[in-house]
This record gives sequence, structure tokens and C-alpha cells, in this order.
Amino acid sequence: MVFIKQVPDTKSKAGVNPDGTIDRARAKRMLNPFDRFALQKAIELKKENGAEVTCVTMGPPKAQEILIDAFDYGADYGILLTDKRLAASDTLATAYALSALAKYVGGVDIMITGLQTTDGDTAQVGPQIAERHNVPQITYCESMKVDNGKVIARRVVEGGHQKLESTLPVLITMANSAAPLAPKRFAEVAAVKEFLHHPEEREKRVKSVNLDDIGADASKAGLVGSPTVVGKTWKLGELGGSCVMYQGRSALDEVNELAEQLQKDDRGIGELING
Amino acid sequence: MANTGNVTVVAEQLQGDLQAVTFELIGAARMLAKKLGVGVSAYLIGSNIEPIAEKLIHGGADDVYMVNDTQLEEYTTLPYRRAILAILKHIGEPPPIILMGATTIGRDLAPRVAAYLETGLTADCTELDIGDYQHKGKADPLKVGTFNNILYAIRPSFGESLKARILGPWKKPQMATARIGVMEAVPTDSSRKGEIIKVPVSFEEHDFRTKVIETVRDVSKAVNLTEAKVIVSGGFGLGVMEGFETAVKELASVFPDSVIGSSRKAVDAGWIPQAHQVGQTGKTVRPNLYIALGISGAIQHRVGMSNSKTIIAVNKDPDAPIFGFAHYGIVGDLYEVVPLLKKAFLEKFKTKGAGV
Ligand SMILES: Cc1cc2nc3c(=O)[nH]c(=O)nc-3n(C[C@H](O)[C@H](O)[C@H](O)COP(=O)(O)OP(=O)(O)OC[C@H]3O[C@@H](n4cnc5c(N)ncnc54)[C@H](O)[C@@H]3O)c2cc1C
Ligand SMILES: Nc1ncnc2c1ncn2[C@@H]1O[C@H](COP(=O)(O)O)[C@@H](O)[C@H]1O
Repeated sequence: MVFIKQVPDTKSKAGVNPDGTIDRARAKRMLNPFDRFALQKAIELKKENGAEVTCVTMGPPKAQEILIDAFDYGADYGILLTDKRLAASDTLATAYALSALAKYVGGVDIMITGLQTTDGDTAQVGPQIAERHNVPQITYCESMKVDNGKVIARRVVEGGHQKLESTLPVLITMANSAAPLAPKRFAEVAAVKEFLHHPEEREKRVKSVNLDDIGADASKAGLVGSPTVVGKTWKLGELGGSCVMYQGRSALDEVNELAEQLQKDDRGIGELING
Repeated sequence: MANTGNVTVVAEQLQGDLQAVTFELIGAARMLAKKLGVGVSAYLIGSNIEPIAEKLIHGGADDVYMVNDTQLEEYTTLPYRRAILAILKHIGEPPPIILMGATTIGRDLAPRVAAYLETGLTADCTELDIGDYQHKGKADPLKVGTFNNILYAIRPSFGESLKARILGPWKKPQMATARIGVMEAVPTDSSRKGEIIKVPVSFEEHDFRTKVIETVRDVSKAVNLTEAKVIVSGGFGLGVMEGFETAVKELASVFPDSVIGSSRKAVDAGWIPQAHQVGQTGKTVRPNLYIALGISGAIQHRVGMSNSKTIIAVNKDPDAPIFGFAHYGIVGDLYEVVPLLKKAFLEKFKTKGAGV
């Protein structure tokens, strides 16, 4: 089971205000870039171990787009968890709802998430799902294989890496130094998505569920289930303030003036050079 | 609500070496504790750690809760999780605030503990403070109220040029992870005294479902961006990968304690490994001197380096955002500027003979 999320596309100009803030209503949306590594790993496991790949996402109805898209890469099933009561979920509430979804589906050996999202950006949801399932976790995973009912994984640590072995079931969060998502195989894409045109088949492969369908406790989800709130936000003002600029003259003059100014301002450059 | 407990830091040690982030967190905790009128506790977990417990006291902790067990020799999630739960049980009432480093350990362990306790956790904070909060939102009547002396966990709201203050006054402990290199340690004082409390732990078999087969750390190869005094960074404006050699390293060679940094676009272009990236999805740094070559200064880069003491930017576009927050800016072609800058630095500042 792969957990993927739809996030605002900050590369596209649409919906991004000139000051860098996001107009959520107008923003284009895309698959969270970190989740591409998670999806890739799942597709590899499908090839190597014959696993079935179910992609799940929690979000508004439109988030189904990324589930449909994932079929192009080789996913087998997609489930959208959508419910008005999920609005304003923090990571604890999100992880609760997603773990309820995983329990509802059942029989999951390997859960894979991205390291973090580009909008929530916490790297918390994965480990919090693992805690709810009482399963071990391997975060910052760069590569992994399943061997004899065990997982052997390589994990990034500061200044190096670690080789770990874990029992199943397990939750893995994939680092962004893992193998990138292989391109869609366009020749096969149309055939892969043929099922979309057959309502019965489609119903089997892409589902949309709400909290009641999966037997989740609504008081642990959404706003009421979230122990944190955003109290206040403010713009990052101009920092550092007045930049002393050198321009319009020869580069040599500019550089020499800068060096003199650094000396005058007592910026400690000498100590940094002389050690 | 009265704050009965201490502000708490979960220490991070690797093979008996306390990590710098631990002392940064203790520094932040001291500031918070002063505002609350309480002390600072540290939790120390590992094997053979008795000799280092005192260092936490010297670094500003008032007491240390220690779980020392041979089965904790190397970090794995579940045994360390069990050790923290053992300490919390030993103490009885959860402390008001628990802080951990936003490292590969802290970001692995903190969410696990927070989910167990069903409490809030704010990731990757860049500022911490204490203050009051009045919750008026009607959507959840149970939350309405006025809360005094609660944790302000402040982080850039990424992908947007905003900072956000995250609050979780309803549950104890209030938890946060803080980025490496942004909080300030207090000076070490080896005359400080404090209590060291040994806490026993009993593991369960399923705590050992994950085993470390091997750990490879090459500290010499590690890109130590967070501790370098000088960072010379290259961006997409280098134009070619070779720019890191001909311009960035060239200029960095002037400074003995320097490390090469980069923007994400240079990393994405494949010019330099991700370990060098500064910014939102890279490292947060605050060296004495940061030199940005061909970097536009996008908000995601800025949040990672704007606390540097001196920022010098070289960019050929006078309107590049980086000139909005650098201290000194040269408008020009970096390939023309860098050799002149290197020469000027050496001529003006170098006192010891070349090659010595
Ligand atoms: C979710 C998310 C996370 C991100 N995280 C990070 C992050 O951690 N770190 C990060 O850096 N970015 C991050 N980014 C990307 C960020 O938004 C910018 O795209 C990136 O920082 C731009 O890199 P740059 O300044 O090198 O390139 P550009 O924006 O292309 O700027 C290049 C600059 O070089 C100048 N230039 C060109 N040629 C020369 C020359 N010969 N001499 C002098 N100047 C020259 C140009 O005028 C220009 O200003 C993130 C983006 C997103 C959406
Ligand atoms: N709404 C969501 N739906 C599906 N997966 C999610 C959702 N939010 C977070 N995740 C997963 O959890 C990972 C970490 O997210 P975060 O904690 O928000 O940084 C992501 O990379 C996803 O794999």
C-alpha cells in the first residue's frame, strides 16, 4: 500500500501569487514529488515479488486524479478517502484516518509513504501510521528488497547509511535519494486504463470511501481530532535589511570597494582566512 | 494550568558522542524554562552512556533521566521508543514540553512517541517561544478557551513565504522537533551540578523486530554544512557543472574552514550531490560568512541561510531577490568577479605567508 498526496504545484505559475504565497483555489495540483519515490518502490516490489499495489490518498474528490495517474506507472488499485469531516486535519489526525483506511483494506504487508510532503512538510505521517498499526518502520529508506519474508533496507543517516533488517508487516518512508519514478510506458498506458471505460471494472479498481465506510471514529479525525492549530502566520519580512550594492563600475573596482568596506565594517574576514 | 514539570530535551548521542543539536536544544529549553519558571531535564538513552550524562548538566540541563542498556547500543525506533515511554512512566506526569532534533533519529522517533501519546508535534521548528493563546474557533467548542504560557512552535510554512506559529495547548506534552544549527547552545559550565536519575526499562520481544546489520558513517566525507564557519554556495547561475570547480571551490580555497553549498536547482541539474543543498529541503545553516554565487535567493533557499552573520551575493541580475536580504551584493558575472574577489581577499586579509 502506497500513501500518496496531491499538493499545490508551485512550479506552475497558476495560483502562485507574485509574493510566493499560494492561492489554493487557483493553484494547479500535482502528485507530491516525494511520493514519486514511494510509488516507484511499490512498482519495483510488484515486479520483483508479485505484490499488488494499492495507492491510497486522503483529500478532496479531485485528489482522485493522482490515483488514476498512478495506474499509468503500474498501480493496481486506488482508494480515495474523502469526507468533509477530514478538513483541517493535522498529522496526528491524518495518520489516524489513513491507518483506519489501511485497516479497513486489511492484509497489507508493506506500507510505503514519501519522506514528506511539499505542503505539510513534516515527515510525520508515515511514522504515525506505523505507530497506529504497531508495526516497525524504516524511515529515510534509499533501497530495499524482500527476502525470505524479511525486509532488507538501506537507510540514510547523517554522514552515511545503515543496512537494516525488519520483519513484515512494516512501514517504509522513501528518501528522495532513492530510485526516481520510471517514466510512464506510453504504449501501454491506454490499455492499462481501459478499465476506466467499464463502470463495473472501474468500481473494483478505484474506490472512494468516507469515514463511516471504513468504520473510523470521526472524533479522532479532522479538526476535532487534531491536537495542534496554526495560531498565526506572518510574512517573512525582508531580512538583513539594506544590502550594500556594488554595480555599474568595473568588476575590479567593485570588488576592491567591497573588500575595503568589509574591513571597515569589521566583518571578521581576516580571522576566517587566517584560521 | 500550572507547569509542574521541566522543559525536556531528548538528547542524541552516537556511539557515546553527544550531538551538537542536543546542546542547541538545551539552550532553547533554558530560554523556555526561564519564561515558565521551571527547570530543564534531558533524557539520555543508549548503552555505556554513564560517562556522558554529566556533560548534559554542564551544557545547561538541571537533571538527566538515563536509560542505559546494552540493547540500546545502536539506535532503532522501537527500543528507543520504549525507553522514552519508560521515563515518562517513571516521572508520572508528562512534562509540559518535549524537544528533539530534526535529525534522521529525531524525525523517526518523535512522531512515533507523539502518536502513542496522541499529542501534537510540530516539525522542523526554526524558533521556539512561550506565550498566551486564546482559541475562539467555534468549529470545535471543546477547544475554546484562553491558554497561558504555552509553547509557540514556529516554522516556515514551506512553499509559501510565510512563517507559521503552531500551538497545541490542549494536550501535554507539547512536542516539537527543531532544525539543526538554528537554536543557540549556552556556554558549557563544568561546575554545574545536577541529579542523574537511572530509569529501568523492560523491553518486549516485538521491540526488536528491526535489526541493524551495518552502519557506515564517514565523518570525513560528511558535508558538514551546519558547523562550517564559511559556506561558498553555487546556484543555477553557474551555468555548468564545472563552475563548482572553477568558481565555487576556487573561492572557498581562501578559507580553511569552509564547505561548499548549493541551491536546489544546481542539485536537480545533477551538478552536485544533495548533501550540499541549503534551504527548505536541504540544510539550515548559519555560518559567519555565506557567499552566494549565481543564486537568485528564492524563499526556499533563503529560509535555510538568512541567519548567516555576513551574506555576500554575486549575481548578474540587479533585481535578484537575494539582494533583498544579503549584506553585500556585487552585480556582475560571477566568472569575472570570483578571481578578482579571491585576489582581493588574499591581498587585503591574508597575514600568514601563502602556503603556510
Ligand atoms: C517544495 C520546494 C522546496 C525547495 N527547496 C529548496 C531548497 O532547499 N534549497 C533551494 O535552494 N531551493 C529550493 N527550492 C527551489 C527554489 O524555489 C528555487 O527554484 C531555487 O532555489 C533556485 O535556485 P538558483 O537560485 O540556483 O537558480 P535560479 O533561480 O535559476 O537563479 C540563478 C541566478 O543566477 C544568476 N546568474 C546567471 N548567470 C550568472 C552569472 N554568469 N553570474 C552571476 N549570476 C548569474 C541569475 O541572475 C539568477 O538570479 C524548493 C522549491 C520547492 C517548490
Ligand atoms: N492526505 C494524505 N494522503 C495520503 N498520504 C499522505 C497524506 N498526507 C501525508 N501522506 C503521506 O505521508 C508522507 C509524509 O507526509 P507529511 O508528514 O505531511 O510530510 C507523504 O509523503 C505521504 O506519503
